[in-house]
Amino acid sequence: MILPIATPAEVRRYVRGLFRRHPRPLGLMLSLHALGALCGLAAPRLLGELIEIIRDGGTTGALDRVGVALAGAVIVQSALVYLARNASARLGERVLAELREEFVDRVLSLPIGTVERAGTGDLLTRTTRDVSSLAYSVQWAAPEILTALITIVLLVAALLLVSPLFLAAPLLAAPLLWPASRWYLRRAADGYLRERAAYARITEGLAETVEGARTVDALRLHERRRRQTDEDIRGSFRAERYTLFLRTVWYPIADTAYVLPVVVTLLLGGLYYANGWMTLGTVVAAVLYMQQLVNPVDQVLSWLEELQEGQAALARVIGVGAVSAAGGTGPPPRGNGIRLHDVTFGYVPGRPVLHGISLDIAPGERLAVVGPSGAGKSTLGRLLAGVHRPESGELTIGGVPVSSLPPERLRGEVALVTQEHHVFAGTLRFNLVLARPDASGEDVRDALAAVDALGWATELPDGLETVVGEGGHVLTPAQAQQLALARLVLADPHTLVLDEATSLLDPRAARSLERSLAAVLAGRTVVAIAHRLFSAHDADRVAVVEGGRIVECGSHDELMAADGSYAALWRSWSS
Amino acid sequence: MRDLPRNDPGVADHRSAWRLLWWMVSRVRSKLAVSVLLGIVWMCSAALAPALIGLAVDRGVTARDPGALATWSAAVLALGLVQAATGILRHRYGAHNWLDTAYGTVQLTVRQSARIGAALPRRVSSGEVVSVGTSDIDQLGAATEIVDRAIGAVAAIAVITVIMLNTSTQLGLVVLIGVPLLLGLVALLLRPLQRHQEAYRTRQGKLTTRAADIVTGLRVLRGVGGESLFASGYRAESQELRAAGVRVGRIGAALEATQVVLPGLFLALVTWLGARLVLAGDITAGQLVAFYGYTAFLVPLLRNLTEAADKFAVAVVSARRVVRLLDLVPDPASPERPAPMPEPAAVLADPRSGLLVRPGVLTAIAASDPADAAAIAERLARFTDSEARLDGVPLRDLDLDLLRSRVLLAENEARLFAGPLRETLGGAEDALITAALGTAAAEDIVDALPERLDTAVAARGREFSGGQQQRLRLARALLADPEILILVEPTSAVDAHTESRIAARLGPARAGRATVVCTTSPLVLAHADHVAYVEDGKVIAEGTHRELLTAEPRYAATVLRQES
Repeated sequence: MILPIATPAEVRRYVRGLFRRHPRPLGLMLSLHALGALCGLAAPRLLGELIEIIRDGGTTGALDRVGVALAGAVIVQSALVYLARNASARLGERVLAELREEFVDRVLSLPIGTVERAGTGDLLTRTTRDVSSLAYSVQWAAPEILTALITIVLLVAALLLVSPLFLAAPLLAAPLLWPASRWYLRRAADGYLRERAAYARITEGLAETVEGARTVDALRLHERRRRQTDEDIRGSFRAERYTLFLRTVWYPIADTAYVLPVVVTLLLGGLYYANGWMTLGTVVAAVLYMQQLVNPVDQVLSWLEELQEGQAALARVIGVGAVSAAGGTGPPPRGNGIRLHDVTFGYVPGRPVLHGISLDIAPGERLAVVGPSGAGKSTLGRLLAGVHRPESGELTIGGVPVSSLPPERLRGEVALVTQEHHVFAGTLRFNLVLARPDASGEDVRDALAAVDALGWATELPDGLETVVGEGGHVLTPAQAQQLALARLVLADPHTLVLDEATSLLDPRAARSLERSLAAVLAGRTVVAIAHRLFSAHDADRVAVVEGGRIVECGSHDELMAADGSYAALWRSWSS
Repeated sequence: MRDLPRNDPGVADHRSAWRLLWWMVSRVRSKLAVSVLLGIVWMCSAALAPALIGLAVDRGVTARDPGALATWSAAVLALGLVQAATGILRHRYGAHNWLDTAYGTVQLTVRQSARIGAALPRRVSSGEVVSVGTSDIDQLGAATEIVDRAIGAVAAIAVITVIMLNTSTQLGLVVLIGVPLLLGLVALLLRPLQRHQEAYRTRQGKLTTRAADIVTGLRVLRGVGGESLFASGYRAESQELRAAGVRVGRIGAALEATQVVLPGLFLALVTWLGARLVLAGDITAGQLVAFYGYTAFLVPLLRNLTEAADKFAVAVVSARRVVRLLDLVPDPASPERPAPMPEPAAVLADPRSGLLVRPGVLTAIAASDPADAAAIAERLARFTDSEARLDGVPLRDLDLDLLRSRVLLAENEARLFAGPLRETLGGAEDALITAALGTAAAEDIVDALPERLDTAVAARGREFSGGQQQRLRLARALLADPEILILVEPTSAVDAHTESRIAARLGPARAGRATVVCTTSPLVLAHADHVAYVEDGKVIAEGTHRELLTAEPRYAATVLRQES
């Protein structure tokens, strides 16, 4: 795991800070909840009173008065419940909005190297599942537990007021309920996590079969998919069976623990009443309180699970904040020349991908990097773009180490376009101007024309205002790649690193694009990592990378004359 | 508890949604019968608890009779234990029925999707089928699970009704008419809340999508800028969601307050009426306590019924979707009476383009428009119906599965499935896998993996680069080792070094069998035994790469692209 997760202590500190920011709404909400719960205690008490009036041979008038009091308590309680719920929704939404906005701000300032290494998967899970789970906790689990806890405290207090003699009843149930619930809750979180993960595997497997139906057909994978599904289901059933086991242990114990206090109260009440220590009304009120206690206790226990999950989600969400913000604060570069001197780099310590690379790239030069897969071409490109920092050796732009530049500055110098492309949900224009918010309509059209994309772009249903990306008009991978290049044209850095930036276009289109792009980029330094040889042919210089080293470097003609591996390849391609 | 899944999900009755639901319920009937019985005992024992507590108050406490008090208290405890036991047993049976139905539906969906195969994407959107997996299976499971609770609730309501009417007809009628009325009122209020919640969830989903969009495109954003644009956009949407959340919260609070005030007032009414009856000597104090209990308990009982009605309404919609899927038939399909398969080493012909695929020959199709080559490939493998023939027998007269076992179409869109790499590649002896990986120049991919062939591959093989995926796909196709292998642009995403290695190895690896490669790469074409040049869907020139380069200028222009 590359992205950190906050420790429980950090989570607690964060939650305390969150609420400390809003002391008044919090206080208001708590007191409203408490007052509402207080009114809820009136009914059993008043019922006991009714019974007393009857026993004392009271009048119907006295009964009616209690009846009115009963109704009054209910009405006041409901008004308080309304206010309390409203207050907690307000506070909850506010806290939630702060949480997610802070999270997105943090994500947006993550160093690009961290994003590259962590991959999108983990971050995406935090953004979608964890933030949703957190929302559920804040909107449901936290207020439900809060109201239930307040109710429990008040019920016990009411019981004490009726008569402390009944306290024995709930205390008797505690030794049963406490260890069983602890046992259950310790295992439940993991159990349900596994259960959901196993269920997700079934869903994913189904999606794979459906989306890959053509492949299943072509390769006759029917039997294999069937077996895979059954295997996934077996996994899910194992996980389900485990949580069912947990519930099978816990539910009956909890149910028994809920009925015990009522029985004990009945017995104690009979004893106390027989001895004349209390009235029948008091006994009845106590029995009813005991029954009322079951609900909030059950609520707390069942929502605790959700709260645990919310806590785990929060730890992952605020963990992102622990990554130090991107970039250095070095001085601005003097000039555009790039210099690599004895640069070594590896993703895993002790396993270098690049060994002692030395290379000078002159401003305005067009350099093609070729070589077999896995030779380290893309890694070299990422180093040039400042995504990674060399392990040893020097990499400078205009005499300044690339890694010392702040990101806003760096991207004015070097930009990287890879095979991976992303179309943001929004209009086509929005997708372009994000690289340069002040770009005019003319600039945007010019940029599209430079990558041979103006034709299809203007033919879209709403032209440049067509909504593309997730949920919008779907662009082909080739169009998305053109879009990425057009963005670069707008951003206009002095050095471009193109890593297979036209690989998704068909060869003929790719070549035409590269030519029109070259016209626009005249005077810019272009490092093109390419697998198509004609790209190399068009470049000023070609660097052949093999096994993490530059084995040949020179113009096309020089390399042909040298008759090395480049020349061999070129001949087999063009003859 | 019996293990799931079943080996065979059975043959579904998909004549209509209701029939499918009925089929699903009757599929689990023996377990369902037990759980219904348990449900009745469970709910009735809960319903009887207030009566026993009332008796304990009357005969034990009020009468100051220790013996009776002990007896009735013990009865309350015993009933509680019965309730606990039947409750968990019912839950276990209910959960099993739920899972059995959900799993069965997944099995049916997967089997059907695999059966429909290539036609599936054309007939239904993949989103629709996938939503069977994400939501419908749960809905169908929930519908079978709730049957026992609903029947138990009906039984318990009947028991309470009889007791109450026997104790006091007047009070009994008040309760029996009042409680459903209350629930109806609450349900009416619930509608606007559900609407608002729905709207809120949609908005929330959109915000999540926006955040996911930011994360997915983060590398682009960090590379070219635009962070502040996205941050402020997100903040604006987040604040809108917050406002919507506060609105939902207000309606929720109103509903919550209603759920306090309506039953509360009703309970006050019943208690007050009851007290007057007690005063008049019609009922006892204990019975009043019991009425208090019944009134409170009826609410969840009736909720079980409305919940059941809701779940079935939702389940019918889900069942309809499953029925739509099960109704599909394969296209192209196998003929009713297939012709006998031609002997091995057959010649595959596509009359429309004039292309012949001969056994033991590495044939390349170079088309000026790559789409033409892909269309020929589809016809040759019968992914579209045509006049294509295998040893003179029209492909449409042959059994489709047998044809697929001999002719394999491998395209770049083909899916890499999740699982250990060994399985993803098709699962064979290591030596064969290694050989196929060698031909596809993909050994380095496996060498870099922590557990080599046992490494888990994610869905779509998304942790691999485009070029790596392509080489793995090629290895998988080679490993399948069909009599006729048709490869569409198999090296479009790999670098020139690797491409030349693959081109050199492909022919020897496929020696003795027919191979078709659709490509315009000179590195590959140079290694083909025979090259067919296609323009406007027709083969207009044939020969070796070298012959065509000199004899056909249009061919040279297409494959070399010198100043085209």
